[in-house]
Amino acid sequence: MSDQNVTTTEHAFILTRTFDAPRALVFEAYSSCEHLRRWWGPRSWPMHECTIDFRVGGVWHYCLRGPNPEDESWGRAVYDEIVEPERIVFTDSFSDADGRANTAMPTTRSTIDFAEEGGRTRLTLRADFATSEDLRAVIDMGMEAGITETMDRLEEHVTRPAASSA
Amino acid sequence: MQPAASDHLSDVFAALADPTRRAILAQLTTGTRTVNELAEPFDVTLPAISRHLKVLERAGLIERSREAQYRPCTLRSAPLRDVDAWLDGYRRFYTESFDRLDDYLTHLRSHREQGQTDHE
Repeated sequence: MSDQNVTTTEHAFILTRTFDAPRALVFEAYSSCEHLRRWWGPRSWPMHECTIDFRVGGVWHYCLRGPNPEDESWGRAVYDEIVEPERIVFTDSFSDADGRANTAMPTTRSTIDFAEEGGRTRLTLRADFATSEDLRAVIDMGMEAGITETMDRLEEHVTRPAASSA
Repeated sequence: MQPAASDHLSDVFAALADPTRRAILAQLTTGTRTVNELAEPFDVTLPAISRHLKVLERAGLIERSREAQYRPCTLRSAPLRDVDAWLDGYRRFYTESFDRLDDYLTHLRSHREQGQTDHE
């Protein structure tokens, strides 16, 4: 069994999870397609295509496929840092089948730290979204506006029983 | 990466990537505005503002009234909620992946221990 803890900050989230396996093995599970195919992605969207050049500057190009034939999501990650068996840092983007990154979508920089804990491994994942604070602020304001919108409609609805006046 | 209907979200993110457009949206959170009102705080021409509004409209972030000639703009918050849900999707993506990793590591360990026993 493992325990998990999630923290979300302004534009990052940090996820800590302890695995009942030695650190070298958990690190290894991140290092090749053979392993990643067995666990990367939701169960309903497993990874199909995969190529990895596991070194700094190397590229991991993959495709997740969902339940419908049109459900496919290509990803392209570039390794920024690899310290075996302690740390992996990569920048992940949406891409196409040819590995061209979709620059319109935000990228995520993932930092994965593996810590040995008496034969178990504590994994800390920090995902930094390349979404600015401004963007976050707009999203938050949009949430508020959404509530206002609903209240406005309610008000219109209760004050205008018939659509007679403009 | 979270599998998602990313095409529409691309338009939304592209629209949000510009500071002027974010500022326009911020103005609209307090209510409906005309193009002239929206242009006022900026040192840009009306046609430039109109181009920004077209991008926002295409992304579904604003709605422009067809009734009045000056076509006032209103914020539509649904795409912003989609963006928020998309960010939240990362958490679910990793949680489910790590559940699978947990199972896979158990499988790997028992498989390798088995292998070692066989060789002894």
